[in-house]
Amino acid sequence: MSLRVGVVGAGGFGRAIALASARHGHEVVLWSRRERDLPDPIRMSTDVADIRDCELVFLAVPARHAVEVAEQLGEVVDGRHSMVHVSRGLVGAELKTITQVIRDKTVCRRLGALAGPLVADALAEGRPSGAILGTGFPDLTGMVREALGGAGLRIYETRDVVGVELASATVGFLTVVLAYGQEVGLDPSTLAVLATRGIVEVSRIGQTLGAKESTFMGLAGLGDLIAAVAGDQRPELRLGRALAQGVDLSNAVGEAGAYVEGIDVAGHLIEHARRLGLETPISSTFAAVTEGRLSQDDAIQALMERRVGKE
Amino acid sequence: MLKRFLSERPLRLPHIKPYVPRPSDPSIFWFNSERDDIVSDVVKRICTTHEPDRARLEIALNDAAYHEIRRLETQRDEEARDRLGYWRSMIRRIGKMDDTEQRRVLHTIVTEMTRDVAGNFDPRVYRFARQAAPRLIGGIMEPRRLVAAAPESLDRVLKVQGDLERLRQLQNEGSLVFVPTHSSNLDSIVLAQALEISGLPPVVYGAGKNLFTNPIISFFMHNLGAYRVDRRIRVSLYKDILKLYSQVMIERGYHSLFFPGGTRSRSGMIERHVKLGLLGSAVEAFTTNQVRRIDRPVWFVPTTINYALVLEAETLIKDWLMEEGQARYIIEDDEFSQIDRWFAFFRKMVGMRGACTIRFGDPIDPFGNRVDARGQSLTPTGRAIDPGGYVEQRGKPVVDALRDAAYTRELGEVLAQRYEQDTVLMSTQVVAHVLFRDLVQSTPGMDLFARLRLRGEIGLDRETLCQELGEARDRLCALEAKGRVRTSDVVKEDTPSELLERALSYWNGYHDSTAATLEGNRVVLGDPSLLLYYQNRLVPFAEDIASPEQLQAACEIRNLGAHR
Repeated sequence: MSLRVGVVGAGGFGRAIALASARHGHEVVLWSRRERDLPDPIRMSTDVADIRDCELVFLAVPARHAVEVAEQLGEVVDGRHSMVHVSRGLVGAELKTITQVIRDKTVCRRLGALAGPLVADALAEGRPSGAILGTGFPDLTGMVREALGGAGLRIYETRDVVGVELASATVGFLTVVLAYGQEVGLDPSTLAVLATRGIVEVSRIGQTLGAKESTFMGLAGLGDLIAAVAGDQRPELRLGRALAQGVDLSNAVGEAGAYVEGIDVAGHLIEHARRLGLETPISSTFAAVTEGRLSQDDAIQALMERRVGKE
Repeated sequence: MLKRFLSERPLRLPHIKPYVPRPSDPSIFWFNSERDDIVSDVVKRICTTHEPDRARLEIALNDAAYHEIRRLETQRDEEARDRLGYWRSMIRRIGKMDDTEQRRVLHTIVTEMTRDVAGNFDPRVYRFARQAAPRLIGGIMEPRRLVAAAPESLDRVLKVQGDLERLRQLQNEGSLVFVPTHSSNLDSIVLAQALEISGLPPVVYGAGKNLFTNPIISFFMHNLGAYRVDRRIRVSLYKDILKLYSQVMIERGYHSLFFPGGTRSRSGMIERHVKLGLLGSAVEAFTTNQVRRIDRPVWFVPTTINYALVLEAETLIKDWLMEEGQARYIIEDDEFSQIDRWFAFFRKMVGMRGACTIRFGDPIDPFGNRVDARGQSLTPTGRAIDPGGYVEQRGKPVVDALRDAAYTRELGEVLAQRYEQDTVLMSTQVVAHVLFRDLVQSTPGMDLFARLRLRGEIGLDRETLCQELGEARDRLCALEAKGRVRTSDVVKEDTPSELLERALSYWNGYHDSTAATLEGNRVVLGDPSLLLYYQNRLVPFAEDIASPEQLQAACEIRNLGAHR
């Protein structure tokens, strides 16, 4: 049965979702502030009211625009709508997830967060891939599978929505750290320790915000990080390499070619952990390096000298 | 014997001339004429879900027999002598029964259990109670004024806040479900009184069967529409019956009350996690009415019950500290069951201005949206929407248990937020927080239990303390202006010194242990666990009301709530 799918945002992921949905025979409207060229049968719209008739809405905008866009959507959506976002960011110092923002600004309640190793190109072209959908609503999973799934895409489900959102946001930051490590020539074993302990570190913080540890060890966390290390060419990798080459943060962000949410997230996460008295050796050390407070060598030495405990 | 008689056979007034409800009467006045229909509706729905599937039916019967045998074997009372034989014989026969017999047995069990749950409502008892209750409670507080103006004592002690006019309008348009925070066994009594003085309708609520053993309470409970919940029964069919009974009542427009926290907050903290069973029954009532095209909305009223002095404070915090909250789900030996403690408590309360504040929060629909006086669900910007859309699938309302469970979880989150915003912080709680924070600040690195052993060892300069109290109060008022929390009139109006003296006078003389005492210019901390109990209400706001020097201590206090 054909769905009426709305896509908000005409970035790489928004376009990929629109293409995948259209390929599966659904009626697709893509809402963006500026007019864009889109292949048929995707309908382009600059009027948010066109989202009103969609039953499933994908939100594909960066976290920094989420509040404003959610406010606009709040004027047209109601209890009949289901909404899924693909953002890798969090909002503000209080680390609000995007579903929390949508809940605050709209009356939409059937919400989900799509994350994991899925990249825009694979989705657009229908290459085999997998993703994880965090939602409390099993019928929403069915709709998303119907809209995007099929033989090419395995969409797993979890009820730990906040876990998916936090894992996805923190993996973005860990990817920058690992790309930095690769570029400065760290051994694969060192990178493996950095990745594994990094996941443990962010999952510890995530649990204080209501996430489950297991979600960080699944597709939304470790799975996504493996895809990044395997070299899926996401902007976080370019940012990490540029930083390792000594480019300062603002220029490195420019070299990444796309907005990297992980950097904003990292600062707020470190502050949150500090308030709760949690240790964040990897995040804090990396922040010190990017801010020029610590040299590369001192950073590695500081991490290696830490007391080793149980896993 | 008497206990069982009272809990099994309700005492009722003889019906010489049945009361015919008037159109203006609250919905519960119709209950007696509908009771048999409600019971058979519940029985029919439970049986319909189990009967088509033999495996499911057999599991339900086995589960019922197994749990009842276990319960009765432990109870070893008259009920056990009567019923144990029935269940033992049944469990042996279940496998050999044919479909018809299994269904017949299921019907019998479910009917008996539902009848046991269903309550009664007698308008005469209701009228008597609404006139006598304030006088009785007031009389306990001031025996000399029992006959004269005792109800005034209650008005002075009990304050009611909220948009009462909106609730009064909504009561005629749909089912109101009051969902309060839970601190004390007195909650249902003071809440019933608050509803009465606010011109709000009486409500249906589930009361623990243990309460029915007291002949006077039993008489009122039986005749005021309370339904009976026997927490000793672990049978899953029984839990289904309780939920469905609540659902059917709400579907039929009976205003209801339940405590989503499930049990009294042992720590004194504001509930952050709510139990979803009964909450879900109200959401499903909304869905069922939508599917049947019955236009009877359901609205939730988040309610906070705020005491300056909590009757059972010492037992509750002790229980929390012993981490036995789960094991002692039903505490039967606390202050609530000791009549001398009741008298001491009420005597103390009479001298307290605004000792209890009940705040009825703004009503919300089952999906957490605010509702206007006409009952319209609103978006954050005030656009009216149809809540029926939430239960539609391809344009048609449908029952979907998994979807409704997800809505219920979302609603639980909204309630937890609303409890924080609608909590009215009382003088004792604010003073306890500042004292406890000073204790934490002056004992860096010490763990909670080591701190709780420091009785009478920490003295604080009174003047410094008053200054800190003043600052904390100002910051709380700033939070109040942002809508994060509320403070009582006493907290707003007293000077810091008056606040301190007031709190000390409230605690001392009622609780067995001393929270703190004034010794010249010093305030000496007595039992830190009592301070902990009262200050726990401020856990979510600890960091917001701390100065930079107090932040570390405030963070430690906030972390007390991190693993609830």
